[in-house]
Amino acid sequence: MSNTFIALAVPALLLLSAIFILLFGLSSYYTKNRAYYITLATLFIAFFISINGIGVLHSAEILPQIFNSMIVYDTFSATFISLFLLGGFLTLAIAKSFVDKTNFFTHESFVLFLLSLFGMVILTMANELLTAFISLEIASMSVYILVGLNRDSLKASEAFFKYLLLGSFAASFYLLGMMLIFAQTKSTNLDVIAEYILNTDLNSQLLVVAGSMLIMITIMFKIAAVPFGAWVLDVYEGASLPITAYMAGVFKIAIFAFALRVFLKDYITFQAIYDPLIIGGALITMAVGSLLAVIQQSVKKMLAASSVVHSGYLLIAFASTGEATSSAASAIIFYLFAYFISAIGAFGVLSYISKGSDNLINYDDLNGLAKERPIIAASLTVFMLSLAGFPSTIGFIGKFYIFTSAIEAGYTFLAFFGALSAFISIYYYFKVIVHLYFKESGHLEVDYGYKVSLAFIVISALIVLWGGVGTSLLLDIPGINALNALSKYSLESLGL
Amino acid sequence: MMLKAYMILSIILFSIGVVGLISRRNIIVIYMSIELMLNAVNLSFVAISADLGESSAQVISLIIIAITASEAALFMSLFVILFRNKASLDANLFDMLGDKK
Repeated sequence: MSNTFIALAVPALLLLSAIFILLFGLSSYYTKNRAYYITLATLFIAFFISINGIGVLHSAEILPQIFNSMIVYDTFSATFISLFLLGGFLTLAIAKSFVDKTNFFTHESFVLFLLSLFGMVILTMANELLTAFISLEIASMSVYILVGLNRDSLKASEAFFKYLLLGSFAASFYLLGMMLIFAQTKSTNLDVIAEYILNTDLNSQLLVVAGSMLIMITIMFKIAAVPFGAWVLDVYEGASLPITAYMAGVFKIAIFAFALRVFLKDYITFQAIYDPLIIGGALITMAVGSLLAVIQQSVKKMLAASSVVHSGYLLIAFASTGEATSSAASAIIFYLFAYFISAIGAFGVLSYISKGSDNLINYDDLNGLAKERPIIAASLTVFMLSLAGFPSTIGFIGKFYIFTSAIEAGYTFLAFFGALSAFISIYYYFKVIVHLYFKESGHLEVDYGYKVSLAFIVISALIVLWGGVGTSLLLDIPGINALNALSKYSLESLGL
Repeated sequence: MMLKAYMILSIILFSIGVVGLISRRNIIVIYMSIELMLNAVNLSFVAISADLGESSAQVISLIIIAITASEAALFMSLFVILFRNKASLDANLFDMLGDKK
């Protein structure tokens, strides 16, 4: 398959399928269940189209006469597109019980789901600030509505309110930044801006520096880094569990993918100005995130707060991209793999055992789960170990690369604080394991049903373990080396 | 020379929007502040376009208007949902989320 075909087919498939469900969803034949399976099939097919583009070094502008160099399809975007599609598929497949048991998951929610994936796919391919903004808004607006899907719930509509309001507030900073950059460089294309930055004296391009800072504010907001991430706990709490999984696992990665592209292409030249800000941001993010995660009473909010800490780890690697570009950037990509699969799995387990109820899952709700449902408990334990960065899971390898790159870049203290907050994270992640295995259960045995969802949870847990120990020396299934090669390739393709 | 004046005006409008968003309590007024911020950016895009004598910046501002319009649709539905739940649009009333439990 040619690369142009893949780059066009994946978004087209998502868009057409969304339009199809939207048009025919009201007919009695296309019930909610059918819409669900159409969505899953679309994601599955799109995933198998898009993985043809990974693992090979390539980079090309797609239809340059039509799109005017706005869309670039390279190994980097191919890798991330496959990741989103896999993430969307896993989220939906695990959320089957949730979809069946709630009445607010109508066919429109699948339309929004597909549209947000469409936005993310374009976002990773965008090589231009305005295209990136449009696709970012397509994705965020769909996610805003998905958060407020349950219209009758006060919590969900409040989360919708907070997210929409703060999201549009942050988006206007992006536009202001883009305007300042445009005022100076007369272009919004990342390559042209990069050339301008390289060829101009640093002191005479203050507008570009200020503009890119404003764009960074929006990125920091979306990834929930601390000074800007005040929304994250409330929104993650108010949204229903599959949507929380989707936001934490997939949407965040899309923002990081865009941030990485902008960073490595443009901002890397004035790294000296950025570094103190990003280092400060990383430290505050890890500290406040850890504090928030420690004091939470419910597992869902704990996972939400800990996702802030994970943004902090990623910011460490972002700070290191100046001194140790290749190792830090591929560490980011590897960590995104690791976090993505663990977060989707952990939230997936919660949505599986919540059975579509609106309640938050408290630690006590997990008591004695290991006796009743050993497989679920074991999977949840694996995800917790991986999020905490325990050896033999993929999360350990991810953290290892991040801290190595920080030391390589000369930021040993950042690696130290990263390790410290990983140490604190053991407390709140292991609390879950304690409740699973060492507390007596007070409730009766429940049958959760939905063996398929359970199967996908177990598959995710196996991926987490295999990503931590697997090498091609043992079995011919892609393990650590393959993921590593993948992140190296996608990084190199940015420079083409 | 004129561009500078327009840019300063746009930055002032943007700042008024930020202040309005932070200080006002009515959600419709908050939404108007966000619109003000976006239109301040639009104003300077149009001014840049006039200064350069080419139309690419105007195209950007048209696209921003389209995005703003779709955002407006979302905000309208938000007003309806919030008003149905609490019969008020006072932002301070919506403080359910955020307890530790």
